[in-house]
Amino acid sequence: MQKGEMYVGWSTKEDVRKRGGSGGLVTSMLAAALEKKMVDAVVVLKKINEFEAVPVITSDVNEVLNSAGSLHSVPSNFAKLIANKNLKVALPAKGCDVRGIIEQSKRNAINLDNTFVVGLNCGGSMHPVVTREMLEVMYKIKPEDVHGEEIEKGKLIFETKDGKEHAITIDELEEKGYGRRESCRYCTIKIPNNADIACGNWGVTGDLVGKATFVEINSEKGARLLQNAIDAGYVQVQKPDEKGVAIRAKIKGTMEGLGKKWKDKVFVPMDNGRLEYFRKELEHCIDCGACKAVCPTCSCGDISKCTEFHYRGDAYKMSMYHLVRFLHLADSCIGCGQCSDVCPVDIPLTRLYRRFANTVQEQLKYEPGMDQRKPPYFEAKLEV
Amino acid sequence: MNDSISDGISAEAAAAPKTDGWEPKIVAFCCNWCSYGGADSAGMGRFQQPASARIIRVMCSGRIDPLHVFNAFLEGADAVLVTGCHIGDCHYVNGNDKTKIKYKYLENVAHELGIEKERLQLNWISASEGEKFANFIRDVTEQIKKLGPSPLKPAGVV
Ligand SMILES: Cc1cc2nc3c(=O)[nH]c(=O)nc-3n(C[C@H](O)[C@H](O)[C@H](O)COP(=O)(O)OP(=O)(O)OC[C@H]3O[C@@H](n4cnc5c(N)ncnc54)[C@H](O)[C@@H]3O)c2cc1C
Ligand code: SF4
Ligand code: SF4
Ligand code: SF4
Ligand code: FES
Repeated sequence: MQKGEMYVGWSTKEDVRKRGGSGGLVTSMLAAALEKKMVDAVVVLKKINEFEAVPVITSDVNEVLNSAGSLHSVPSNFAKLIANKNLKVALPAKGCDVRGIIEQSKRNAINLDNTFVVGLNCGGSMHPVVTREMLEVMYKIKPEDVHGEEIEKGKLIFETKDGKEHAITIDELEEKGYGRRESCRYCTIKIPNNADIACGNWGVTGDLVGKATFVEINSEKGARLLQNAIDAGYVQVQKPDEKGVAIRAKIKGTMEGLGKKWKDKVFVPMDNGRLEYFRKELEHCIDCGACKAVCPTCSCGDISKCTEFHYRGDAYKMSMYHLVRFLHLADSCIGCGQCSDVCPVDIPLTRLYRRFANTVQEQLKYEPGMDQRKPPYFEAKLEV
Repeated sequence: MNDSISDGISAEAAAAPKTDGWEPKIVAFCCNWCSYGGADSAGMGRFQQPASARIIRVMCSGRIDPLHVFNAFLEGADAVLVTGCHIGDCHYVNGNDKTKIKYKYLENVAHELGIEKERLQLNWISASEGEKFANFIRDVTEQIKKLGPSPLKPAGVV
């Protein structure tokens, strides 16, 4: 097995295959890595209910096997969870998790040689609180009655405990302000080729739909991970059919195109009144620092420039904390949406931070989290 | 506007609308080896320049942290100037190459934020370029007079 190869595979454990998002391959690969001591720990989501889960670092194979399934309303980011822990670890990762992990590695907080990143294709995730509200307002069902959820043909489908299915198109949901988080709508990495291996259901065809995962090997580590799972008897794979490969590529292209459209829609150029716009948006900031704490590319710790030079009692027209972060994240923001998700006063932070990041990253031709290039800020001479 | 200042204004600048007597505050960061020398020769050569500039001397333009620039604006500067040796002349080999990088970020952030481009400027000035320094301060002062006080100036600060 080597970089560039593609397979369709599934778990050999019947219950894992059934519970898995599409065939339980990811879960089984992670479990096999743990079992065969390729890694000391694995990160998985521990489910609380249909909408909530907490990430845990575990060395228990059963806990890994129990985690099968995709949770679309858990917009977690695993990068900071494994930072500065010096772990030999394998973990599932949406595009934004992968980018966070790569940025942390550039800041010496994660050693990629010891980190096996299992990328998940990602069409987007939803905020749990927004999802609950959406269920009541749009679907007219009680969140507590939800039994399962899936995405099929552009529709978000909830199954209730009485066995009924409730479907609404994602377009309609998003028109009404629900659906995916704003940052996911304009996110353009749909297939994480920056991870060691990329897994998803796009490209799975025929009888295997819903029962298998399409994988693309992106690195030597990815090849080892899959080979180990096959050797350990945890997964089975076969070559994908040509139709599947083509479908997958086509969906990727379509989704990326949609992402670009959303970007233009969200970031309408502003001529005048920009300063007032930023001032108004930041007006209610209570300086809790949560947006910095969750930011998967920031690795400053408690003592940092943005906090040490910020004084709550100043009479400044703009927060020094945010000014410093606007600048520091101009090249490093990966648009993961974590900051908006956690802000207790609902400031649309990602939308603000991306204003700066969009221009700077475009000008410097720098895409954080996609490869090993260091942030241009630390270069001695600017080439572009 | 006091007399010693209006004396130094060029004909072109003098034609510009005056903001009755208001004198902008311009914070100019100068490196010890070049642009500070330039400021010095501007004075020694008696080149006329307005009293708007507040010079802050740093050892090298590479020492100027964007935070310093933000701080100047937040404290009420109407414009901030980042200056240093010409590229290739930095006394710490490549300090000003690094300044260029930081400035690129600063410029973009300031622009996105809605701070007019006149309020943040970069210039390389050698120790012997007294006249260039004086002209620069004079030009910026005139540009800022047209724009009026900075929107970031805290209430109560003139
Ligand atoms: C939010 C989200 C959106 C997705 N969108 C698409 C898509 O549009 N197209 C596509 O082809 N594939 C998408 N996938 C991937 C797909 O749903 C399956 O995860 C993938 O096909 C692997 O299936 P599996 O059965 O092998 O995984 P499983 O064996 O079910 O393993 C899934 C693993 O992912 C972890 N996980 C679950 N939810 C999350 C989460 N929110 N964040 C991080 N880790 C999580 C679990 O802990 C588990 O370890 C998405 C996945 C997620 C989580
Ligand atoms: S930001 Fe991108 S990768 Fe992350 S959850 Fe949203 S769509 Fe998925
Ligand atoms: S600033 Fe916000 S969107 Fe950007 S990387 Fe940090 S948490 Fe993610
Ligand atoms: S999370 Fe919100 S309230 Fe807290 S510091 Fe960030 S912007 Fe301010
Ligand atoms: S010493 Fe003048 S710019 Fe470095």
